[in-house]
Amino acid sequence: MRELLRWLLGLSDKNRKTSSEIARQRLRLVLIQDRIELAPDKMEQMKQEILEVVSRYMVVEEEFIEFEVRRLDELIMLVSNIEVKDVGGLMAAPAR
Amino acid sequence: MTGKTIVITSGKGGVGKTTATANIGAALAMRGRRVVAIDTDIGLRNLDVVMGLENRIVYDVVNIIEGKCRVRQAMIKDKQGLELYLIPAAQTRDKDSIEPSQLRELCAGLEQEYDYILMDCPAGIEQGFRNATTAAREAIVVTTPEVAAIRDADRIIGLLEASGLHHPRLIINRIAADLVRRGDMMGREDVESLLAIELIGLVPADERTVSAANRGVPVVHDGRSPAGAAFLRIAARIDGEEVPLNEPSHRPGMFHKLRDMVGMKGRAYSHA
Repeated sequence: MRELLRWLLGLSDKNRKTSSEIARQRLRLVLIQDRIELAPDKMEQMKQEILEVVSRYMVVEEEFIEFEVRRLDELIMLVSNIEVKDVGGLMAAPAR
Repeated sequence: MTGKTIVITSGKGGVGKTTATANIGAALAMRGRRVVAIDTDIGLRNLDVVMGLENRIVYDVVNIIEGKCRVRQAMIKDKQGLELYLIPAAQTRDKDSIEPSQLRELCAGLEQEYDYILMDCPAGIEQGFRNATTAAREAIVVTTPEVAAIRDADRIIGLLEASGLHHPRLIINRIAADLVRRGDMMGREDVESLLAIELIGLVPADERTVSAANRGVPVVHDGRSPAGAAFLRIAARIDGEEVPLNEPSHRPGMFHKLRDMVGMKGRAYSHA
């Protein structure tokens, strides 16, 4: 019984992450967040450039409804929402 | 002669900046270089005790900057007779008593006469950090394989780049090879891939570092210390010699074990 238990534990140990793997994963996410927070001007620049690119194809509201980096468990996402007012640029695109 | 001024920094305290400064300084001097080590941690002086020179202090770096003494008068020569000098920090002042430009000027003067000027930077990112990083031409970041230390190192690397100190190099200190092997400590690859800067040294956790610090003798003088050997290699790399970066390992071979049992003295360089 004890042997069986140990065997089962040993097996589950292999599936469990080592503490160094956990450390690396935590750090990876923390560093991404730190680097983003520490570069507000770069983020602002990117925001403006994204708006500029989108405006080439669509008529959009000048301000993002939402623009932020969000963490969802092990994912870090850039979430941005823009209100579309018209699709003028899209229709005028020559390549079809 | 034009020397190099290098700042040794980390962000987080307690990762081994001062030990690294003392050992790299001694190791460079053992290579025949002329070295000055400056303690820039004003108010929290400790490079003097690590180098075992605490009883010889008369003047300090603030005295030099305020013109109370000549540079030479504040320089304390190493106990082992190397061409290694310490300029201690002032203990009764605070970090605002020095301006970055004043420290730069001091280093510029020393660069005329010495090969290496090493600055032991205080922890944190305030005035003391700005003083030391402004005065330096190159930077070495010390970290340990721990989450908090690496996070702070990353921040420091960003600040160094922003202040014009490009290409800082990394020392990973206190690596316990057995912990890495069983998955309880991040290893070289983990830290390297997270911080993404050039690695200049891997220093194994080594009890001999502790006893050396107790004695006030840098561990590079201990021929059997793996950490000491690692610091010798780091100094060689700083000095432009190409030395391979070996992983710390605590599995001494049969010969080493035997030799240790017999008590033969020898170089333990094979470890790091």
